[in-house]
Amino acid sequence: MAGGVAAVQHNFKSHPSLSLLPSSQSTFCGTKFITSVQYKRKVCQPKGALNVMASSSKKILVMGGTRFIGIFLSRLLVEEGHQVTLFTRGKAPVTQPLPGEADEAYNAFKSKILHLKGDRKDYDFVKTSLAAEGYDVVYDINGREAEEVEPILDALPNLEQYIYCSSAGVYLKSDLLPHREVDAVDPKSRHKGKLETEALLESKGVNYTSIRPVYIYGPLNYNPVEEWFFHRLKAGRPIPIPNSGLQVTQLGHVKDLAKAFIKVLGNEKASKQVYNISGDRYVTFDGLARACAKAGGFPEPELIHYNPKEFDFGKKKAFPFRDQHFFASVEKAKEELGIIPDYGLVEGLTDSYNLDFGRGTFRKEADFTTDDIILGKSLVLS
Amino acid sequence: MATLVQSSLHFTNLSPPPPSLSLPLSSISLSSTSSLSSSSSISLSHRSLSSSSRNLSLSSLTVKAAVASEKKKVLIVNTNSGGHAVIGFYFAKELLGSGHEVTVLTVGDEGSDKMKKPPFSRFSEIVEGGGKTVWGDVGAIGTVLEGLTFDVVLDNNGKDLDTVKPVADWAKSSGAGQFLFISSAGIYKLTEEPPHVEGDTVKADAGHVAVEKYLSEVFGNWASFRPQYMIGSGNNKDCEEWFFDRIVRGRPVPIPGSGMQLTNISHVRDLSSMLTKAVENPTAASGNIFNCVSDRAVTLNGMAKLCAQAAGLPVEIVHYDPKSIGSDAKKAFPFRNMHFYAEPRAAKDILGWKSSTNLPEDLKERFEEYVKIGRDKKTIKFDIDDKILESLKLPVAV
Repeated sequence: MAGGVAAVQHNFKSHPSLSLLPSSQSTFCGTKFITSVQYKRKVCQPKGALNVMASSSKKILVMGGTRFIGIFLSRLLVEEGHQVTLFTRGKAPVTQPLPGEADEAYNAFKSKILHLKGDRKDYDFVKTSLAAEGYDVVYDINGREAEEVEPILDALPNLEQYIYCSSAGVYLKSDLLPHREVDAVDPKSRHKGKLETEALLESKGVNYTSIRPVYIYGPLNYNPVEEWFFHRLKAGRPIPIPNSGLQVTQLGHVKDLAKAFIKVLGNEKASKQVYNISGDRYVTFDGLARACAKAGGFPEPELIHYNPKEFDFGKKKAFPFRDQHFFASVEKAKEELGIIPDYGLVEGLTDSYNLDFGRGTFRKEADFTTDDIILGKSLVLS
Repeated sequence: MATLVQSSLHFTNLSPPPPSLSLPLSSISLSSTSSLSSSSSISLSHRSLSSSSRNLSLSSLTVKAAVASEKKKVLIVNTNSGGHAVIGFYFAKELLGSGHEVTVLTVGDEGSDKMKKPPFSRFSEIVEGGGKTVWGDVGAIGTVLEGLTFDVVLDNNGKDLDTVKPVADWAKSSGAGQFLFISSAGIYKLTEEPPHVEGDTVKADAGHVAVEKYLSEVFGNWASFRPQYMIGSGNNKDCEEWFFDRIVRGRPVPIPGSGMQLTNISHVRDLSSMLTKAVENPTAASGNIFNCVSDRAVTLNGMAKLCAQAAGLPVEIVHYDPKSIGSDAKKAFPFRNMHFYAEPRAAKDILGWKSSTNLPEDLKERFEEYVKIGRDKKTIKFDIDDKILESLKLPVAV
């Protein structure tokens, strides 16, 4: 049984060790990934639960799918035997091999995936092209505004399920945490488009499922979450953390998120439901810095705490996380659907490091401008 | 009553009922945990003597259809002071309300000054509910409870093996089938990845850890409950009152550090309901550790704000470095100056327990009582607070 998972039957006599999954630590390849998925699926099913796995092949449209979440999700869908089409503008390559993926596995995937090239903001095109094709299920991974969803729903009156990637950013800030799916949401938040989309799906009566991740991490992350720490660790620089460093946040591995997306497919229990999906432990800012160091085999870092009010960083972000507590309970998904994340934090960060940053790949170049302002060093203007 | 009980009958094992008993209650008790086979005949004979008069007072009995609603004889060994004292009080009343038999053994003397404080000053409520209250020392437990036997024993008193061992040993020798222990979430090792989850590393030298280990070796059916902080009428130790004292007098609330520290403050009814679940689902509970807490964290700043909201008053929070006041730091603030946050995952997974703590609402009720008993008018000295404010060069109220 994988370590770092939520509590099940505990026996005081056996001290459950947080053992790391060896398969994810070293090389990643498509086949290994798939094997571990199948194993975990068996384990995750709660006893006696009616888990309606999609047994028939479905015609699935993924809005997006070429950047991060969708890359992992689409592989799982193809592996499950579904016919998968990615709707993208084609800016990023439609398919790319995953780091460490065997040629055979990649080619098998590549040969099966379909591409529908277009701009999802071109609503007429969306409506026409989707209506012409007809799809059973839509995974909307990159939707931001409610109006983007309307043409899709109009084009597909017989849609079986609309699975939406929302965000835990919709929750209203609260003194009582963790955030739960029943909690108040913030209509003024930066993510109000996600909220409005959820409301639209609800009002249209379509069978939808909305997933609210917290911070997503993992190989190929384009949001500088773990990468931000890795750059500093590699450069041997201190890590500047705002205020106390006690702020508690939460990271969820992209592979666990992809598996959660699979788990809700064709699942009646998930109909018209919202689920928080993330890691099953939270972490302080200080703890995250140290976890990244462990993951990359770096020595324990020097942490510098500063008061952000004392600085003017202009438009630059000095730290990649909201300066507040921000974490959500993932109990609902666990209790109702048997969704339990595989990755513990250090384990997941190690996976990300080994398959991405540790191989010399990253999305954003290191930029220590704000660090230097904080550290009182002279500005290096780019 | 008898017909209600009969309808929930289901046999999970095949041991036949003792021939001398004809009450339908007998068959239910045998269908539950197998470890009770030796004690069941004793407890049943005891029950058959007093059950008729007992049952008449149980008009509020709730029948849990799927679970064996077998009535138990429960002994609560209760501490005579401190934050955990109120747990036994609520648990006793909830068990009585569910139709179980309850004896509360409070450590020490009935006549001591400690017994003038809540919840002990309200122990008549336990007696009125049909329970028994006795006093004595755990070292002499065999004498204090001579001739009595119980199905379940809860130790809500000891923090180390010296204090709990006599209770555990006596419980075992007198045939109790289930032993429950109130431990503490304070034994978890500090973590940077909250929350504390059952199974996480604990401080090896903690007294409670030694107790848990001993129980696991000695009792077939045992469970340990790790609480944090509690609010609730009848509390023996201040919790929310600390905030109310300052808010109601227009005094600043001094909080060490950033105030971002997360803690878990539960209404004691949550602890009571979790313990009751364990009593009524002994097989499921057996061998497990349960974080005995609500399912929400609150920051220290948040708690101050919620108390103020409950009082309908403004609050001024000031933060200070506890190092600046030296040895007074411990007395200055009633909560741990760190993240101290456990989640009740095992209780939810294993017992199907649900939390009902609602701090915003519960604190309103707490504030109402605070005013009702006249504590808002009480003269209180705030020496340490004043020291803190001085060190921060803030005005000290007259």
